[in-house]
Amino acid sequence: MDRRHFIGNSAAALGLLAGFSGQARANLQKAEILVIGGGYGGATAAKYLRLFSNNTAKVTLIEPNASFVSCPLSNLVVGGSRTLSEITTPYDNLSKRHGVKIIQDSVASIDTDKKTVKLASGKTLRYDKAVVSPGVTLMMNSIEGLAQANKAGVTLQAWKAGPETVALHKQLASMRDGGTFAISIPEAPYRCPPGPYERACQVANYLKQNKPKSKVLILDANQDVTSKGALFKKVWAEQYAGMIEYLPKYNVTAVDAKTKTVKFEVQDDIKADVLNLLPAMSAGEIAVKTGLANANGRWVNVNFLNFESTAQKDIHVLGDSIQIAPAMPKSGHMANQHAKVAAAAIVAELSGWEINPAPVLTNTCYSFVNEKEVVHVASVHQYNAAEKTFKTVPGSGGLSPAPSTLEGVYAWGWAHNIWADSLG
Amino acid sequence: MRAKYLKPAILATIYIGLSQWSTFALAQNADASNLYKRGLAATCANCHGTDGKGVVDGGMPLINGLTSEQMLTQLKAFKSGAREGTIMPQLAKGYSDEQLEIIANQLGKK
Repeated sequence: MDRRHFIGNSAAALGLLAGFSGQARANLQKAEILVIGGGYGGATAAKYLRLFSNNTAKVTLIEPNASFVSCPLSNLVVGGSRTLSEITTPYDNLSKRHGVKIIQDSVASIDTDKKTVKLASGKTLRYDKAVVSPGVTLMMNSIEGLAQANKAGVTLQAWKAGPETVALHKQLASMRDGGTFAISIPEAPYRCPPGPYERACQVANYLKQNKPKSKVLILDANQDVTSKGALFKKVWAEQYAGMIEYLPKYNVTAVDAKTKTVKFEVQDDIKADVLNLLPAMSAGEIAVKTGLANANGRWVNVNFLNFESTAQKDIHVLGDSIQIAPAMPKSGHMANQHAKVAAAAIVAELSGWEINPAPVLTNTCYSFVNEKEVVHVASVHQYNAAEKTFKTVPGSGGLSPAPSTLEGVYAWGWAHNIWADSLG
Repeated sequence: MRAKYLKPAILATIYIGLSQWSTFALAQNADASNLYKRGLAATCANCHGTDGKGVVDGGMPLINGLTSEQMLTQLKAFKSGAREGTIMPQLAKGYSDEQLEIIANQLGKK
């Protein structure tokens, strides 16, 4: 039993507790809280730090982009059935409605000794608590020739939604009928496990309607489809027969931009007209640079009760950058859920309260198999105190039985609500 | 009937000595306990809106017209399998009855 527990259980000490809380609440109001990165994790953290502190905490969000573009649903933009503007949300409600101070800039470095953050513009900010939610870094050097091919505009990743998403659709639109679109998938873990398979569906859906002699190759470094496998395979067989070819254990090692040839660890070279090569991924650059990525130098170990980095005190890391718990996907929904646990824990800590010993996370993930039908995977993760990690609850969670248009409606419902929950 | 879910004395009786959460709840002041409840209810917000206020005509069923009692009945029906659905039967099974009760109390129509 710790001190606060003891005091809390003693009626005689209630006055003391109130006095202590008053002091601590002043700490909450005085603390400088910097949130680095305004994706599903960071934006949600900024908003909920304000909500959970009853708008008393000082929260500053540092984000380089003027507006938020959602990665979930961006495959529909690649496939051409939706536009980028439909998946874009402005940041200004975070300041207007919730009093978050927004600085449009990126973070150049974090000095963990001085507890300061240096911005790309040169300005230095002090923090008492930093929330770092920088997404993933695409490790372009993990595929020989990829960085050059990307620079030349020959291959695009479009794994961070934005201009590349639109550019990838343009490549598809200018491909000849009878051409080949190839997408490669790195070994898990990577951002959005079902994302590449959904993209293959969206590309095939476009080609089926516009260039029916074309092919889609899925070059997967993994042993098998990493998410919703049976559902995707059924869709490929039933809706895209003869168009989508799935090749497991195809680990891309190099690309030749001039000839659009892909080389593998084991198999013979493959040529394609449009190459969408997804390299291995790691925690966002600022997390790696700050020495937070203490899991194989790639991901950030955190204390799952408050998402504090195990490498640095007072730095809380969210979303795709963390070393995941068992069966925890790197998804936008999950990042939003991490953010709420971290925000509540930070508010509790700065208020002098014990942090919640039993946090809960959920995940839901919808994949569009054409422009209307959707399949989902869902899970609930309860904190396990004995093992100090999150574990899925036996008997909970699961998949769709089959693609449906009803879930297509819910998928958009999910999107509108999570954008409002994170940014509205 | 609704008042039943809101009476602290009854809630305290439910919690005493039953779980990790009960020890936690009793050790905290009202603000801390309220924060815990808000955090738990926030796990629903991704799909059903911040504080249960979903986007109108957004495509997702709205829940903020339900009383706490109605909401708890639906959540328990999803959990038991009495009510069918897409994601909700799968998610409801991941929460304890106590957690569902706290969520219903937080998000039900006031």
